[in-house]
Amino acid sequence: MDFNELLQKEFVCLDGGMGTMLQARGMKAGTIPETLNLENPRMLIDIHKEYISAGADIVYANTFGANRFKLAKSGYSVDRIIRAGVHNAKTAVAESENPSALVALDIGPIGTLLEPTGTLSFEEAYEIYKEEITAGKDADVIVLETMTDLYELKAALLAAKENSALPVICTMTFEENMRTFTGTSISAMALTLEGLGADAVGVNCSLGPAELYPIAEELCKWTRLPVVLKPNAGLPDPVTNEYNITPAHFAELMRKIVPLGVKIFGGCCGTTPEFIRELKTMLSREKFCPRDVKIPAACCSASKTVIIDRPRVIGERINPTGKKRFKEALLANDIDYILGQAIEQVHGGADILDVNVGLPGIDEGEMMTRVVKAVQGVADLPLQVDSTIPEVLEKALRVYNGKPIVNSVNGEEKSMQAVLPLVKKYGACVTALCLDENGIPKTAEGRFAIAKRILDRALSLGIPKENVFIDCLTLTVSAEQDAAMVTLDALHRVKTELGLKTVLGVSNISFGLPERVIVNHNFLTMALTNGLDLPIINPNSADMIGAVRAFNVLAGFDRNSLEYVAAYGAKKETPAEVKSDMTLEYALENGLKAEGAKLTEELLKTTDPMDIINNILIPALDKTGADFESGKIFLPQLILSAGVAQSCFEVIKNHFAKTGASNVSKGKIILATVKGDIHDIGKNIVKVLLENYGYEVIDLGKDVPYETVLNCAVEQNVHLVGLSALMTTTLSSMEKTIALLHENRVDCKIMVGGAVLTPEYAKQIGADYYAKDAKGSCDIAKEVFAKFYPNEGAEDLK
Amino acid sequence: MKLEKLNRAEAFRYMGHRGGAIPDNIEALADECEAVLLSAVTPKFVWRAFDIRKTENGVKVENTPLVLRGESIAEHLQNCEKCVLLAVTLGGGADRVIRTYENGAMEKAVIADSLASAAVEQVCDYAESEIQDKLGGFHFTWRFSPGYGDFPLDIQAELLTAVDAGRRIGLNVSESLMLLPTKSVTAVIGVSANEIPKGKRGCALCSLRNNCVYRQRGEHC
Repeated sequence: MDFNELLQKEFVCLDGGMGTMLQARGMKAGTIPETLNLENPRMLIDIHKEYISAGADIVYANTFGANRFKLAKSGYSVDRIIRAGVHNAKTAVAESENPSALVALDIGPIGTLLEPTGTLSFEEAYEIYKEEITAGKDADVIVLETMTDLYELKAALLAAKENSALPVICTMTFEENMRTFTGTSISAMALTLEGLGADAVGVNCSLGPAELYPIAEELCKWTRLPVVLKPNAGLPDPVTNEYNITPAHFAELMRKIVPLGVKIFGGCCGTTPEFIRELKTMLSREKFCPRDVKIPAACCSASKTVIIDRPRVIGERINPTGKKRFKEALLANDIDYILGQAIEQVHGGADILDVNVGLPGIDEGEMMTRVVKAVQGVADLPLQVDSTIPEVLEKALRVYNGKPIVNSVNGEEKSMQAVLPLVKKYGACVTALCLDENGIPKTAEGRFAIAKRILDRALSLGIPKENVFIDCLTLTVSAEQDAAMVTLDALHRVKTELGLKTVLGVSNISFGLPERVIVNHNFLTMALTNGLDLPIINPNSADMIGAVRAFNVLAGFDRNSLEYVAAYGAKKETPAEVKSDMTLEYALENGLKAEGAKLTEELLKTTDPMDIINNILIPALDKTGADFESGKIFLPQLILSAGVAQSCFEVIKNHFAKTGASNVSKGKIILATVKGDIHDIGKNIVKVLLENYGYEVIDLGKDVPYETVLNCAVEQNVHLVGLSALMTTTLSSMEKTIALLHENRVDCKIMVGGAVLTPEYAKQIGADYYAKDAKGSCDIAKEVFAKFYPNEGAEDLK
Repeated sequence: MKLEKLNRAEAFRYMGHRGGAIPDNIEALADECEAVLLSAVTPKFVWRAFDIRKTENGVKVENTPLVLRGESIAEHLQNCEKCVLLAVTLGGGADRVIRTYENGAMEKAVIADSLASAAVEQVCDYAESEIQDKLGGFHFTWRFSPGYGDFPLDIQAELLTAVDAGRRIGLNVSESLMLLPTKSVTAVIGVSANEIPKGKRGCALCSLRNNCVYRQRGEHC
């Protein structure tokens, strides 16, 4: 019997808890349970046999925590523990009355959090799971369970699918708020896992069957796959640690879940063979209720699902095309600038963000990986990953946490062959462009034919229809006036005849015309009326986002105009209106960011940018710095005025980018939060201040390996390195980083800071300077460059 | 549990405020940060009561492999027969809010960071009152956390395991002994059937005492 044959049965019954059984048999507190696979195999064989005898069709091998991280201190290898665990379960099956019972390789969470909240990278998580999956190859099925982070589960599922042919059951642990601890929603879990090829999905642990009912109900609406439910025996008591429901009550509660269409049942913590026996008896009297599930067209991040049942805005701003400042940021590895673009579009009203980082001279794949990881760390909108290079798309698809959109495939054979298999493998949606080897067809008929061709190919590869979105392509109306209506005709046909969702980049329409926004937003409205679902626009443009919002009211999507009123009804932020007598100094002192930027723009018309920096910005910063030191203002005020200065500098940088002048820099400084430490708020405060004083900060981020600091200092010839550590436990990383710089005789000064540091300790670990706060770092930088490296930095800043 | 309101005064103190009125623009930012945090955090806690026994190596927590090492925790628990192990977290949502603000709104990041720290303390207080309710008739010490005095941080992993914090509230520890999500606390509370004499509490136990900004200003945290 294999898993698929088992699914032909009315129901599948899993086993119950393992921990409770081991404790009842005298497992000592503090024992790593998996070591018993080798130290007491008979005990495990007997437990498995009890479960099979109670009616379990699948028993979970005792391998839940058998990963490198958790076994580190056990003295055993992952391979030995897992092999023994699977072997014990197999032995139990052979000795039992049901020799066709299956053995599951049971894999739980690693036990530490993945980035960005934790320090474990997605790639490391993949390797940890790969090791477990390889060791467990003798099992009949793989179970990934008790997962709370969809990202971690994706790493595990990819590792399973790429290193094993066994079917994979995925179950996550939800709280009563219908989310996991890390915020994963049920729909996001279902959409993502079904796309990645899971064979069954479900819920285990955390709560009892009564509390899990609404969670199972929601899940059954979001997946075509068999659904699994493995609840706890109720809730534990904090004093006795005992669970609160009986086997009979458990079975009774589970019976109520049968009509939802759940196929696979079992028990988790606190359940015993007696629970499984009652469960099996109950199931033997019930009939499976098949579900007729229609999955809507949707994409998602781990926490946010966007259903495309009405126009949804794709923000187009993360794209270097035609943007000098963006190109500069890419070349300088300035991820923060890109994140700023992401956050601005979220506030603007985007539903989905397009991410394109294609630029000659950079490693696009590497940059795409970094940007996707960084953006999903700060914005919970789903992403559309955008590249002309299939390898870059695959890199993005791998590290994306959720179900993204791929932009794009087209009707060329080469493109379909390269892109569609990736879309299938990673379970993404795809934007298909209506062009092929012969270019863009001039007629709606021609474009429709290409759309149809791509859809057919996608279907033949097993990509569900709802995952294919068609872009009928916008041409420039000033060059080809009749093309606008061709686009709209094609769009309408694709929508009504093929029943597909449509996507369109809008702003191309108006190239070469004055007052482009008028043409853009009217074309957008026409396209929406013709059935456009996914306009790709600049959500920061009030006219464009306004056209979509108005359409949603007029077309009846925004019921009772709730969203429209939420956007415009309340007192809204008026664009910075600068009183005629307001000075830049005043804006800086009072934390007025938008006004500061506006005043800088004004000043640039009449004043040399270097004069603005040297005569206004720097003295203002010096003043707030002094006020902070004297206690006249406190930290948030200091940071706020630094933020205003930053927005002024951003205006000046844009000015430089436009005029092609070289950048302002007083010298380069590396900042890093050391290896093992992820508290980087202090380092980021320092960064804001240093940048304001005109230093070029190379921010290596948090949890930075020693070598990364060394390599960066050497390669970029940096003479000042700032290191931050917040914990006593990570001070040793700071010491090692300093030692490595010294061993390699890097010509640089080192300043250190952080809550647990003292000037004495800084000296002891070989730092040149101790910075007591962010202001102190600026004073140190000034001294270092003046005293030791007077030739670094732009001349006119001296 | 649900947090309704955050302890602003405490948060401003963490930010280095030394009395006097808070400027309107900072209050307005705090309003915004508080609203965003309240909708993003998922405060959770888990605790268990254990019998304890003094041994040569430290205080042994029965039914766990935990031995609480160091003089300060021994002193803290000297009049107790039991202890409660408590783990508290705001969840990853707080980290996410702060991380997002760190891009382009550092002043809000600073404010949200302090508000979140104050929020964890509020959750601890709530948990503590629940513990005192559930364990009626006992006396309790104040909360003592790893890292205080000579109570080592490397106990975090075993402490979390003892209350099953990973599974129950999603709280983990990194290899460098940092709690993840970061806005989290673990603590030991001594429990006794008899009245517990007030022990020493405050800066004398603190490993940061030589370098503390509050102490430099003649205050305490």
